[in-house]
Amino acid sequence: MFDKILIANRGEIAVRIIRTCREMGIRTVAVCSDVDKNSLHAQLADESVCIGPYRAKDSYLNMERILSAAIQTHSQAIHPGFGFLSENSKFVKLCGKCGIKFIGPDQSCIEKMGDKLEARNIMIAAGVPVIPGTNNPIKNAKQAFELAKEIGFPVIVKAVHGGGGKGMRIVMDASEFDTMFETAKKESKNAFDSEEMYIEKYLTNTRHIEFQILGDSFGNVIHLGERDCSIQKRNQKMIEETPSVAINEELRQKMGDTAVKAAKAVNYNSAGTIEFLLDENYNYYFMEMNTRIQVEHPVTEMVTGTDLIKEMINISLGKELSLKQEDVVFSGHAIECRINAEDPDNCFMPCPGTITDMHFPGGNGIRIDSALFRGYEIPACYDSMIAKLIVHGRTREDAINKMRSALGEMVIQGVKTNIDFHYAVMSEKEFADGDFEKINESLKERCC
Amino acid sequence: MLQGMFKKTLKAKSNEKVKDSIQKSQIPNGLFKKCPSCDQIVYAEDIISNYYSCPNCDNYFRIGAKTRINMVADKGSFKEWDNNLETKDPLSFPGYQKKLANFKSATHIDEAIITGECLIREQAVAIGVMESEFLMGSMGSIVGEKITRLIEKATELKLPVVIFCCSGGARMQEGIFSLMQMAKTSQALKRHSEEGNLYISILTDPTTGGVTASFAMLGDVILAEPGALIGFAGPRVIEQTIKQKLPKDFQTSEFLLEHGFIDRIVKRNQMRKTISFLIRSSK
Repeated sequence: MFDKILIANRGEIAVRIIRTCREMGIRTVAVCSDVDKNSLHAQLADESVCIGPYRAKDSYLNMERILSAAIQTHSQAIHPGFGFLSENSKFVKLCGKCGIKFIGPDQSCIEKMGDKLEARNIMIAAGVPVIPGTNNPIKNAKQAFELAKEIGFPVIVKAVHGGGGKGMRIVMDASEFDTMFETAKKESKNAFDSEEMYIEKYLTNTRHIEFQILGDSFGNVIHLGERDCSIQKRNQKMIEETPSVAINEELRQKMGDTAVKAAKAVNYNSAGTIEFLLDENYNYYFMEMNTRIQVEHPVTEMVTGTDLIKEMINISLGKELSLKQEDVVFSGHAIECRINAEDPDNCFMPCPGTITDMHFPGGNGIRIDSALFRGYEIPACYDSMIAKLIVHGRTREDAINKMRSALGEMVIQGVKTNIDFHYAVMSEKEFADGDFEKINESLKERCC
Repeated sequence: MLQGMFKKTLKAKSNEKVKDSIQKSQIPNGLFKKCPSCDQIVYAEDIISNYYSCPNCDNYFRIGAKTRINMVADKGSFKEWDNNLETKDPLSFPGYQKKLANFKSATHIDEAIITGECLIREQAVAIGVMESEFLMGSMGSIVGEKITRLIEKATELKLPVVIFCCSGGARMQEGIFSLMQMAKTSQALKRHSEEGNLYISILTDPTTGGVTASFAMLGDVILAEPGALIGFAGPRVIEQTIKQKLPKDFQTSEFLLEHGFIDRIVKRNQMRKTISFLIRSSK
């Protein structure tokens, strides 16, 4: 067992990881930037090291400082959480060189899945369905146009080394292709120093269904069911739930098997997620693999009774998976709402500030992952997500009722939040009916 | 606010041991480097993959002659010339021989320049690259001789000459013999030029003294790396002589470009392409 783990992250995910470590009897080291010195993760950990100023590149993204903190505190492993260095293969390599265990997949998995085109080609070779598109990097607009015509408009132009929506453009028809391709290429050059692009068919009216994967170093891979993350604003997930209303048991099994096959294709050895797009005709396509723990992982934990962070730590210790596929039992329905410090009436603009008063709901089947406390000052320089409210009910209807009740009880004062917005969504008929397309449309209207 | 409110983690009682390799955590020597320009600690491999420059501020690190050759020459095309010349101590300068021996064993290089021929994008060139690690790239009689032979052979073979200059100037331990190399190399270049051959001089950090005063400034085309120190006497000597304050960027490649001493500043990642373009254009 590890004696001590450093958590290279902040906010609720750092707190969430520290909690599991405390439960496992592993001492923890938090790293924080100067504005985070009083934050919950820095207080809850057994030790805390300030690693630099607020800018992420000088603190949470600074590999040398994080490694130095790990060595100084005699930490044996680093959990990266999500975002920051969680999918940085160079960081994984450096941890290895310094004799520190990276709690996550091997460097090669991150590299392969980080190169979107390589990931695509690996999936094709493994027999995993992918969205119709190009299989080689393209730089030339003319050549790209010919390929786009072959695929058929609308198409989506993506950066091979891209991510986070950058270097990506949806092209509805041929007339705007050249401009869109060049803009996306330029964006990719600036953000990722690469002009390599690829093109995929743009599918409309799709659902975003992802499967939670666990793999160990012995080649065992299982899935823990799906999460429906179709409700998004500006490509950012807002509400997630499991199971999805869009798929039946037969399709669930088929998609789950495909997800396992996809993870096995890269010898995946940690917790990860295979993202699929599901079209109206129930065809599903591999979109990408996230080689880390995800924000929405608690819904899976609620219905399967697992602790994914605990599993990740055990896998890193070289242990075999404690579960086999047939041991995974799904029970009930879970929904997560991401509570952000933002103003839904003003294009969801972030609203940092100080928490003057707060009350969190509780009771059976309610979980809150948050780093808030009274008097906490939400810094403007980081993500605006301040809490995740997760509920677990016997049925979807139960879960919706519970979520509405919990949102109605939740109080966060001092900053604007999207609590009331979530409350309204939970009360809408469209949500109850699973008609997420309509909800996304109204979200789009609110986004400026 | 919540300071000291939480109980510490109760350590698990476990007989399991973490693998030995995990317990010995340390940052290996040389994994990171501090950039002298921006003071940031940078991953050494990032510096190398970024053409030996700081990924944070683009400051150029000095590079050895062999690395430089690998950077510009077509893979495996370099053939060294005149690597059998032995440095003598003509003035019996105190400590010179010992110094030479120390440098040779520390750097595994025999002198402050490597010369030879190679292909740059499939075009044959005679190339000389000075080595700052060896007595600060100073020019003694062997350096001068190797450059002269390089130019003479290039004249004979009708090859363009490319020299990467990097030097503290003439080698004081060889006195007048060092200064004589200035005239010798310049004469050879004159003959090379009269035969209609191209000479590209590339000034890197630092190019000073007798080297600046001879072959470094005689290129048909003179290129320089960004931010390189280029001059004859050092700024302190000049300030004391003329009794005036010098501009802040005095003796940098940018200053020299602005004042018409060099033709272009070329980044390392563009160097191979630029040299190849110049050679092709001269034909």
